[in-house]
Amino acid sequence: MGKSIKILTVLSAIMIFFAIYLIFAYAPMEKSMLEIQKVFYFHVSSAFIAFVAFGVNFALCIMFLIKRKPQHDILAVASAEIGLLFCTAVLLSGPIWARVSWHTWWTWEPRLTTTLVMWLMYVGYFILRAILRGETRRTFSAVLGIFAGLNVPIVYHSVNIWQAASNMHPGTNTKYDMAPTMKLTFWFTFLAFLSFYGLMLFLQYRMGESNLRYEAIRQKQLGEM
Amino acid sequence: MRIIIIITFIGIFGLFLIAQIPVAITSNEVDAAVTDAIAQVVNAAEEAGETKPQIDEDEATKTVQLAIEQLESEQKRRLKFLYAAYLVIWLAIMLYVLRLGRQQHNLELRLSQLEQTEPNSQEEAAE
Repeated sequence: MGKSIKILTVLSAIMIFFAIYLIFAYAPMEKSMLEIQKVFYFHVSSAFIAFVAFGVNFALCIMFLIKRKPQHDILAVASAEIGLLFCTAVLLSGPIWARVSWHTWWTWEPRLTTTLVMWLMYVGYFILRAILRGETRRTFSAVLGIFAGLNVPIVYHSVNIWQAASNMHPGTNTKYDMAPTMKLTFWFTFLAFLSFYGLMLFLQYRMGESNLRYEAIRQKQLGEM
Repeated sequence: MRIIIIITFIGIFGLFLIAQIPVAITSNEVDAAVTDAIAQVVNAAEEAGETKPQIDEDEATKTVQLAIEQLESEQKRRLKFLYAAYLVIWLAIMLYVLRLGRQQHNLELRLSQLEQTEPNSQEEAAE
């Protein structure tokens, strides 16, 4: 393991550990939702990381189509994979929180529905990659990555776009009277997840590059035979 | 990497247990608290020169006990859901990291196989 990876691993672990300490021992109890509100710190941070990861994938897909560098494709896939992981965490933890706060596991309100659509599109992105091979795979998945990336602002603004009566999530313009200790805990958790995202991206990129090199040698060998 | 993930996982639930175990209130504690509260109310009335209030200590204890039981059962329900939410997030992350480790292992295996076949193919070419 490289020195930078070791440092990033230790840093991420310490930050996540400290974030959990802040969530349970430092942040005050929210008065209306009580203990279950503590899901907020991991749930919302995971959602933000998913947005960052899908945003990075979107930018890299465009860069790949312009410059045709396989490194952009490797990074795009890595970012989409981590984004899908965090989006899955959001979709799993959300209903558990909703069951206590909204008295339902799931409701077809704008934010939940658009998030599920976004998740399905990225699942489709990986199914497409599993079916195709070579340059066709890179090109087609980059195009789908761009389409899927367009979902991110839609998901974020869905609560404002569709002001349905069924809307359960607060609007993006809502002013929160959150205690400073809660704000600090939330942003620290976000940073901890961001460092974990950086670490995973770095590891995935290194592995993707090794895979590319392996395939190149293999192709060369097969050509010589 | 895996060790750090497992240590963090244990750490999370350690912290969870330290910070989140609901404080169970025993019936003796309720009795003592109700007696103290009644005494305070009576003293306050005496100091103010008012008539001494008649409070049924048994009824008051039962009411407080019932309220505490209800609050505790609601708290336990919320904590179960909180535990489940953190568990699913952490399981998702753990499974992902373990999958990444397995992929890395497979890649190393394929690379070592490639290294083994490379001299063989060179020998075959020389023959």
